[in-house]
Amino acid sequence: MEFELDEEQRMLRRTVRETVAKVRPQPEDRQWETYRDLGWLEAPPLELVLILEELGYVADPTPFLATATWFAPLAGRLPEGSGTAVFDGTGHYVLDADRADEIALLTPDGVTVVSGASLGAERVDVLDPHLHVAHVDAGALAVGVPDLALVGLAATGVGACRRILDLVLAHVKQRTQFGRPLGSFQAVKHKAADMHVAVERARALTHFAALTIAEDDPRRSRAAHMAKAAAGECQRLVFRHGLQLFGAMGFTWENELQLHLKRAQACDLLLGTASAHRKALLAV
Amino acid sequence: MKLADDPEVEEFRARFSAFLDAHLPTEAEARERPRSSAHVPDWARRWQRALFENGWLLPGRPPEYGGRNATLPQQLAHLEELAHRRIYHSFNPQGLGIIAASLLTFGTDEQKRRWAVPILRAEITAALGMSEPEAGSDLASLRTRAVLAGDTFTVNGQKIWTSGAHDADVLLTFVRTDPDAPKHKGLSALLIPTASDGVVCRPFGSIAAEDDHDFNEVFLTDVRVPRENLVGPLGEGWRVANGSLGHERTLLWLSYAERLQDLVRDAADAGTGQEWYATLLMDLTALRLLGYRQLGPDRNPAEISVLKLLGSEAVQAASLHALEAHGADALPHPARTGPYHHMNNEDFVSSWFERYARSFAGTIAGGTSEIQRNIIAERILGLPR
Repeated sequence: MEFELDEEQRMLRRTVRETVAKVRPQPEDRQWETYRDLGWLEAPPLELVLILEELGYVADPTPFLATATWFAPLAGRLPEGSGTAVFDGTGHYVLDADRADEIALLTPDGVTVVSGASLGAERVDVLDPHLHVAHVDAGALAVGVPDLALVGLAATGVGACRRILDLVLAHVKQRTQFGRPLGSFQAVKHKAADMHVAVERARALTHFAALTIAEDDPRRSRAAHMAKAAAGECQRLVFRHGLQLFGAMGFTWENELQLHLKRAQACDLLLGTASAHRKALLAV
Repeated sequence: MKLADDPEVEEFRARFSAFLDAHLPTEAEARERPRSSAHVPDWARRWQRALFENGWLLPGRPPEYGGRNATLPQQLAHLEELAHRRIYHSFNPQGLGIIAASLLTFGTDEQKRRWAVPILRAEITAALGMSEPEAGSDLASLRTRAVLAGDTFTVNGQKIWTSGAHDADVLLTFVRTDPDAPKHKGLSALLIPTASDGVVCRPFGSIAAEDDHDFNEVFLTDVRVPRENLVGPLGEGWRVANGSLGHERTLLWLSYAERLQDLVRDAADAGTGQEWYATLLMDLTALRLLGYRQLGPDRNPAEISVLKLLGSEAVQAASLHALEAHGADALPHPARTGPYHHMNNEDFVSSWFERYARSFAGTIAGGTSEIQRNIIAERILGLPR
């Protein structure tokens, strides 16, 4: 196999990175409109994962993740406007269910798509200020989580972790104590190195999972569990070391670190934590 | 990025596989076991020579050095095939992978002819004299002194952890030739035959057994070494030490992948339904993916440290889990926890207790995990020294 992004994929990543940085300060609906107009929702799995990693890097407030990786794989098409899906059999903590234009439901009789407004889902208050989740009361439901939904959350979480690491690195290079930059202390270096290894490991497994979906490889289900579990493990370490290394500044509302910590944590908690997916991997 | 294997690489793998089917020593032939990493029984010497002569020993090298000018992905396929079948291509791995490799990179034509080729053909074995009692992670502070007078160096000092020295014919030894230069600048590399007057090797036991003799102390007292045994320019020993693994270094992670694969097999029962077993499967997959990625162009050489840290720590974590899963049943020693294979090192399928203890070789030797973390922090993440 070849495990190196090709030139087109690298170019896509650069373009996405630049676009997202430019668009992110704009109003939320403008951001969403831009991403839709660019055709990013139609990207194939690996390219989609590259996009989601960049959106995870900026704590994306739009319904992109749910539309592309929850609604689309279940409904087999893109929604009119935004979309999400209920496929874990509970209808609890459904991403963007409070604002989706269309919601795909996995029922014992198969998939049905209803208008979002018809379910009247109400947003649940959560710690992550940009995250929309809601409970849905939609009658009889079945369980069948798409691989892409797991991989989408993993990629978003990896992006958030990368952002946390970047913020921490900038902080420990600039902040001086005892007459030295914090980053020159070995206790700090070793935590940063472990964060980097965790990000690289999770990112590799996320890319691999996207590749198995793109090629409909028989390993796709195992690969999706590995990606979700690895992103969750990465989040756990990066959250802990990241907040610790940032010191009291990272504990404030003003510092943007909080947004990314919360996004990373949410990506682990939704659709099963690392532990649940380690168990699921062994059961496949 | 694609899952499919390159047909040219697969064709190469198939040809090597056919060679192995036809030439592998039988278990009856391979009865005498190697007792150290530089003790190579006659059957294993014949085996290594057969690989050399057929261009399957170091396929990335030209035919005169046991290869066939293979590409890096083909070299990976070669090592994967060996690992998959649990076959060693050499029972003097440091001779092949470090000493001969250094000589091919830095040696003169005469040194290649006189030392590298005999090592590759398993006519002689070699050991690596790097660490000293006062120079471990801080290798550049080594003190073994070599004074050049006329065409002869006189060497005095002590090496330690010199794997296989008591069974080796020659030591690639790092010495200080200029005590006045800054510490990285005053080093040189010398080939010292172990039969030279003044070389005394004292093997000592490892954590596994009092008579598990691979480690050595090597005492060097007024050892006379001809100038022609200097490898690389005088004072360039640090460059030789760092470059000694050449592109073989890019594939070092495979040895950890092999250990992890052994654990996947041998810990399957103990790991049934256990989350640590899932972590083991993920570590192995991630290590392979990152290893394949490292074959790409323009990779930062410091990323090798990511592979080493991930691989060696994963082996250690899984070994500990397997050990604990067996509880008191893991106490009996010696014991065998994996299938015997006459072309592999038995240490790796020894008792769980021993396997866990031996996993520390991965996190200590060749740059400790702490040193790897420093390298990652400084050379990848850009933190100040």
